[in-house]
Amino acid sequence: MELLTLVIILSLALGAGLLIQWLPQRHQPIPPYSQRAPFLGGGTPDTHAWNRYHIRYYPMTLLLIAFEMEMMFMYPWAVVFVEKGMMAVMEMGMFLAILSVGIVYAWREGVFRWQ
Amino acid sequence: MAVSWLRQLAARSRVPVFPVWGWHDDALLARLALSSQVELVDSPRHASVLLVIGEIPAALRDGLRRLHDQLPAPFAAVWLRGAPIVALGAPVQIARDDQLIETLVRTHRELMLGQRESAPRLLPDEPPNPWKGLGDDGHGGEGMMGGNPYGRPMAMNMQNDLRDGLTLDSLTFRLGPFFPLLPAGLCAEVTLQGDVIQSWETRHAALPQRLDPIFHAARQHPVSIADLELARARHHLVQLYRALHLAGLEHVAHQAVSLSQRLTSSSRLDGLRRQLMRSGIFRLAAMDGVQLDGELASHLGGPAARAAGLEVDLRTNDASYQSLGFRPQYRTAGTTRARWEQWLGEIKQSLQLARQAERDNLHTANTGAVETPRGPWADERPADGSALLDEVLPGLEWDEAMTLIASLDLRAVADAPREASA
Repeated sequence: MELLTLVIILSLALGAGLLIQWLPQRHQPIPPYSQRAPFLGGGTPDTHAWNRYHIRYYPMTLLLIAFEMEMMFMYPWAVVFVEKGMMAVMEMGMFLAILSVGIVYAWREGVFRWQ
Repeated sequence: MAVSWLRQLAARSRVPVFPVWGWHDDALLARLALSSQVELVDSPRHASVLLVIGEIPAALRDGLRRLHDQLPAPFAAVWLRGAPIVALGAPVQIARDDQLIETLVRTHRELMLGQRESAPRLLPDEPPNPWKGLGDDGHGGEGMMGGNPYGRPMAMNMQNDLRDGLTLDSLTFRLGPFFPLLPAGLCAEVTLQGDVIQSWETRHAALPQRLDPIFHAARQHPVSIADLELARARHHLVQLYRALHLAGLEHVAHQAVSLSQRLTSSSRLDGLRRQLMRSGIFRLAAMDGVQLDGELASHLGGPAARAAGLEVDLRTNDASYQSLGFRPQYRTAGTTRARWEQWLGEIKQSLQLARQAERDNLHTANTGAVETPRGPWADERPADGSALLDEVLPGLEWDEAMTLIASLDLRAVADAPREASA
C-alpha cells in the first residue's frame, strides 16, 4: 500500500514536471536554424562552440571540495568529542595538520593565483 | 485565458529593443536609454523590436539579415532615417525622431496582443552545411571528428596556446558588425583559445560617428566656447555610459547618460565620480590590462593620446583658450584606467571652461582647426582606428579586451554633422 502511494506521488510529480514543460511549448514551432546559431552580432562561427578548454579555476575547485569534506568530518567528530575528550582533539589536530601541508604545497605551486 | 492575461501583461511591459546603429547618434542613444517605456537589450533573443537607425552599408546587410532572423517570434523591425531591406513585407518606417518612442510602444503592444503579424524571416531555414544522412552515424562526414553535426564542424586544435603552452581547441568566429560590445560596423575574425584572444583580424571598420554640429561650425566661424565645451563633455559622458553599461553598472551608467542630457555649465561631476568610486570599477584587474604606447595612442589622438602621456591638444593654439589659462590634462600610464580618469578629468575641465567662457561670453579664435572629442581635426578628419585592435588584442583575456575596446573611441568622424534631435 505504501509502495503504491509512493508510485502515485512519483508519477504525479513527474507528470506535473512534464506538463509544465509541455504547456508553453505546445504551439511553438521548432526554432529555425538562424536561431539555433550563437549570437555574434551578425557574424558566423566556423565550428561548434562545444570544445575543450582549460578550466583554470579547477585546482581551486578541488581545494574547495577538500575543505567541504573536512567540514563534513567535523560534524560527527563534534558529536563524539565530549565522550572521547582529548584523544578526539589530537586526532582532529593530526587530520588538520596533514591537510594544512597540502594547502601550503598548493599555495607554493600558485594554485591561489587567479589567471 | 491564462495566455491572454499574460499577453496583456507583456503588452504593458517596457519595449525590449535591440538597436542597430547605421549612424551613431549619441543624442538618440541617450533618449532611448533614459526612456521609461523602452528597454535597450544586448541580445536579439531578448528583444521584440529590432530598431535600425540610418542607412546600413551594403557590405553589412548580410549581418543585419542574420541578426533580424535571430529575434524570436513575434517580432517587428522598425526603420528610422533609412530605407528598409527590400525583402521585408510590411516594415514599420518612421519619418521623424519624435514619433520613435510612440511607434515602438505601439508596435510592441500590437505584437503582444496578436494584432500584428510577426515580421517574415529573411533567410532560408537550412543548416550552414549539408550533413543529414552522411557518414556511418549520420553525423555529416567520415571519422570521429570529420563530420558536420547540425551543419557545422567540431572545434579542432589548430594553434598553439599563447599563455602557458596548454594547447586546446581553438574557436574561430566572425564577430560583428552589430555586436553590442563593439562600435557599430566593426567586424572582426576572432580566434579564441579558452578566454584568451589568439588572433583578431579586423574585417570591416567601425562606422563613422556624426559629431555635434558645433564642432563642424567651429571650423567655419567662431563659436561659443561654453557651448563647444558642453558638447565635448556630453560626448565623453555618453562614452562613459557605453563603458559602464558594458561593465554591468546600469545604475551609474544611467546617471552618466542622464547628466549628459541635462548638462549646463553649472553642472557638477562630483556625484557621478563618487558613484564610480563606490562601484569598485577602478579596482578591476582588467583596468590595468594593456598599455597603449605613444605611437598607437598618437594615431588615435584625443583623450586616448593624452592618457598615454602625449600633451597634444589643438585648444592650446587658440588665443581665447589661452586667455582662460587652458592647459591640457594628461596622464602617463596609457592603460584603460588612465583613459577613464582622462575622461572624468576632461569632463570636469570642460565644465570649468564653460563656466569661465560663459561669464566673459568668449568665442573661439581659431577656425581652421578644432580639437574634437575624438581628436584633432585640422586638415584631415580624425580617421578610423579599428585596425589598431589587430595589434593590441592578441594575448589578452576576453574581459580585458572588451574593457579596452570600450575605453577607446575608434570611430572616424563623418563629414556630415549629427542631425538636430527632435
